Amino acid sequence: MEKFKQIPLVKKLGFNRVILFCVLILMYVAFSLMVPGFFGKARIMSVMNYVYFLGFLSLGVTFVIATGGIDFSIGPVMFCCGLISGYTMVFKGAPVIVSIIMSIIIGFLFGMFNGYLVSYWTIPPFIVSMASMNIAKGIAAVYTKTQSVSWPLSTDPVNGWFRSLLTSNGFPVGLVIFLIAAFVCMTVLNNTKPGRYILCLGSNREAVRLSGVDIRKWEMLAYVICGTLVGIAAIFFVGAYTTVQPGYGDQYNNEAIAGCVMGGTSMAGGLASIGGTVIGVLIISLLQEGILALGFAKDIQLIVTGLIVIVVVYADVMARRRKN
Amino acid sequence: MAATEAILTMENIDKTFPGVHALDHVHFDVRSGEVHALMGENGAGKSTLMKVLTGIYSKDSGTITYEGKEVEYHNTREAQDAGIVIVHQELNMVGDLTVAQNIFIGREFMKGFRIDDKKMIEESRKLFEELKIDINPRDKMSDLTVGKQQMCEIAKAISHQAKVIIFDEPSAALTEKEIEDLFLIIRDLRAKGLAIVYISHRMDEIKVITDRVTVMRDGGYVGTLITKDCTKDDIINMMVGRVIYEEPKTESHVPKDAPVVLKVEHLNAGRMVQDVSFELRKGEILGFSGLMGAGRTETARALFGADPKTGGDIYVNGEKVTINSPQDAVKHGIGYLSEDRKRFGIVVQKTITENSTLASMENYMNGPFIDKAAEKEVTEKYIKELSTKTPGADQLVVNLSGGNQQKVVIAKWLVRNCDILIFDEPTRGIDVGAKNEIYKLMNRLTAEGKSIIMISSEMTEILRMSDRIVIMCEGKKTGELDISEATQEKIMTKATRDIS
Amino acid sequence: MTKKKSILADQRVIVCLVIAALVIIYFIFSPEFRQYSSILSMLDFSYYDILMAIGVTFPLITAGVDLSIGTGMVCYALIAGRLIRDFNLPVVLAMLLCVLMGCVVGFANGFLIGVMNLPPFLATLCTCMITRGIGSMIMATPWPTNKQPGGWFHSIFKLTFGTGRSATKIPIGFVLVVLLVILMEFVLNHTKFGRYTIAIGSNKEAVILSGINVKFYHVMAYVICGCFAGLAAVAYAAVVPTIQPGTGAGLELDAIGGVFVGGVSARGGYGSVLGTLAGVMVIVLLKTGLPYVGLQANWQQIITGMVLIGAVMIDVAKRRRMAKEQ
Repeated sequence: MEKFKQIPLVKKLGFNRVILFCVLILMYVAFSLMVPGFFGKARIMSVMNYVYFLGFLSLGVTFVIATGGIDFSIGPVMFCCGLISGYTMVFKGAPVIVSIIMSIIIGFLFGMFNGYLVSYWTIPPFIVSMASMNIAKGIAAVYTKTQSVSWPLSTDPVNGWFRSLLTSNGFPVGLVIFLIAAFVCMTVLNNTKPGRYILCLGSNREAVRLSGVDIRKWEMLAYVICGTLVGIAAIFFVGAYTTVQPGYGDQYNNEAIAGCVMGGTSMAGGLASIGGTVIGVLIISLLQEGILALGFAKDIQLIVTGLIVIVVVYADVMARRRKN
Repeated sequence: MAATEAILTMENIDKTFPGVHALDHVHFDVRSGEVHALMGENGAGKSTLMKVLTGIYSKDSGTITYEGKEVEYHNTREAQDAGIVIVHQELNMVGDLTVAQNIFIGREFMKGFRIDDKKMIEESRKLFEELKIDINPRDKMSDLTVGKQQMCEIAKAISHQAKVIIFDEPSAALTEKEIEDLFLIIRDLRAKGLAIVYISHRMDEIKVITDRVTVMRDGGYVGTLITKDCTKDDIINMMVGRVIYEEPKTESHVPKDAPVVLKVEHLNAGRMVQDVSFELRKGEILGFSGLMGAGRTETARALFGADPKTGGDIYVNGEKVTINSPQDAVKHGIGYLSEDRKRFGIVVQKTITENSTLASMENYMNGPFIDKAAEKEVTEKYIKELSTKTPGADQLVVNLSGGNQQKVVIAKWLVRNCDILIFDEPTRGIDVGAKNEIYKLMNRLTAEGKSIIMISSEMTEILRMSDRIVIMCEGKKTGELDISEATQEKIMTKATRDIS
Repeated sequence: MTKKKSILADQRVIVCLVIAALVIIYFIFSPEFRQYSSILSMLDFSYYDILMAIGVTFPLITAGVDLSIGTGMVCYALIAGRLIRDFNLPVVLAMLLCVLMGCVVGFANGFLIGVMNLPPFLATLCTCMITRGIGSMIMATPWPTNKQPGGWFHSIFKLTFGTGRSATKIPIGFVLVVLLVILMEFVLNHTKFGRYTIAIGSNKEAVILSGINVKFYHVMAYVICGCFAGLAAVAYAAVVPTIQPGTGAGLELDAIGGVFVGGVSARGGYGSVLGTLAGVMVIVLLKTGLPYVGLQANWQQIITGMVLIGAVMIDVAKRRRMAKEQ
């Protein structure tokens, strides 16, 4: 095992990520063996539909967790984005491009709101999450008068084109967009000033503040980045699943956090891996597809991700304790 | 001192942590009715030994004999019940509970399901009367001064019917008056036949209060002396293993006409900083002396913008500046090295490079991206210049020793090119060798034209390094001395001046 | 050192004034609110919130949180309801089962947080999802109505004399709830469990060094919380005609928001169950009263969220002022 860790390629990618990737492959093989017909393009495309929106959620929350904070309003905020912008399009006749921009702006605003309260008001992030989760649900319900909203299908001559953001003639455009987004996030986190500050303040905020850095600004930025990515996630969610219903969305919080923490981002902050998050998201998405394919109810997914998060976070806690 | 039988004997105690031989066959004993000092540099193993005794750590080998029986405790509770109590250096009080509730925490008087708070208050009152301390048991702990909180800790220890009390650096946070009170209490306890272990760094106290001294060094037992038969130098020699010459500076190296780089007028920030004014000249080391809690760190933090201030003017190079946050301070070329490196100085889980450029990111940018090559170059330059001991610039700071971590913090401000540096306890928790290196470095920096404010609780450090000394007491500046006229006695009188 | 505090400095007094103001506003602007039946129904819907809030006060004082109480409550009510319907489980046993399930989930939370050291919000977010997942797998379930066998349990909360329109209804549930509040206030201030709960929230290290079995008391705080979530499940079943699977998320906010409004510090170490009662009443008045002044019910979520943020902001501002005075 020690030898394996020393292989240059493994070292560069990170041992944990290589292991995680192996787990992903093994899971795929296992599901293919257990479920006849699992192996094949149709299933992969179905998994991908999940990956797109969950991926953006997970990328976003990675930034927040890197600061040592948390945001579990992301699921309901994503629904809020999809509902308000969708409602504006379907019932008020806005073109889809306006809706897309609107969705991103709503996400951005929620990010501002959360970030402002956490960084400038030093309100514990979990309280802010709790509040904004309900505010998001409330706003969406009030605006849509508690109706669910269905986004146009790809056959829609005017607005249907937005579906080709996910797949176009069988080509997974969404995957390309997601990977580009992941690459951008990775660069921001590792090679730019905001990323450096976000990681450092997650590790020791007072030391960073006393170095003359405006930590409040950068901490808030992490939430804003998260919010914006959640706004984008909403587009991919409706692109894949068409309908959004007010009052829901919380189930995706856990899945996004699970994907992120599984990938090696520490809940204590300061340590984040975008590559890990991408693999984590793939595992969670494959898992939910597998659970459905095995004939279990969708709700099992809630229980399974719940357990996964507990295990993964416990591993993180133990790893940190060993280090100290 | 009658040579009574020892109530507690620790023989051949050995303890190894991964990579460190923390205790190497240590011997220690204490008798009833004596005060026995345990001395040694930081990291000599004093606290570890006491933690082994009170069951926080388990020993690898050796025996502990208490009242004639061999014992081994598995937690502090067991030790407490046997009558061995430790008064910790850090206060372990629950701020939101009252004094009485704190003293009896874990062994409340009960009336059925109900806690008998009345009785607890009554008992606390009796305890305080016995100790002649004036504290209301109903007060909330967080409302008391640090000194009074310490007294509560002692009251708590005594209330355990203790036979052995261990004081772990009890005087660190006390004012002179409170230390006197403490000594009265200790003498009183000694007269009652208790055995007292006194851990301290302060040589003067050792001479005043203790009967015997045991010295430890690098986890090993060095020797035990009868206090009244030995000199201060004997003890120091045993502690460091060699005679160190710390010649005080005799006169200031700063020319009289050196320009004033920093002028602070009527700085105010809460109780701890009241109307503080001083000047700092180019190339000068301005020492800040005073006891713990005199408000020196608070002054530095307020000056640096780390804490809000309520008033005062600051001039940098003759120009009036506004400093409301550390950003402002850094912008004006002020750097702050905190007394608590781990909490306020370094980002331990990050690399030396990341720490070094933390305060000056904007100079290491290539468009929107970080210029990693330039970053590495400058880091390596300072690793060489400060002779930081590390395998490379990519090393995580957590893996460095205290002295080298301090150098990383210094590098951070040098990279930023700060002209005014505030060193808050620059050598705390650093071993002797590294200490001298830090001193040399500070002298080099001032020779290069930088100016330094040095806050220090070590008198030798103040007298050795400073060109001028500002003395503070209870949040006020109580004096200023040129090094040529400064003596330990003069500083102490000013640091303990009764302001009331 | 000790300053004379004006009576207004106690957040609980201010909260009571807010309650009074809200009641007066509703009375003036809404004729419906003035009717006895409106007040009765408002109280009916307040019991489960109050019960959850009493419980969650304890984790919040330890500087933790329990996000699983809402979904947990619905899950217990569903399981117990199903057992009553399908297996003729006596209602009294069903009620006990609810409390038992609450304690078990509370214990799980406590174990994850107090023993395994997981962050409280994360651990309970997971159990929130897990209880919701379990709840979703059970069919929608009505508990027995007033007239069905086993319907007697409604009388715990509301005594009904006579039938039809002329029936007299007495909200004795409120009396019970207030008694529980007083009991738990006593537990918080005068028992070891309460004392250590406060101490854990204030300075956990110190408590460990005092030789107290901190893990036990830390876990107990969550068990108590779970136990009250179980009680809340009974109150919930008494007022919600048919409990829907997969619901319950968000209900914890009303309780937790109420606790913060009642003056528990977001950093732990201080709290009062009486304050919690007052705080929850504010939330209840806001959420059940809004329709009376012409706002649709969905506004309640937004307003509760805002109230929660506002209450914590007050706490932060208070702390900042104190820090400045130091």
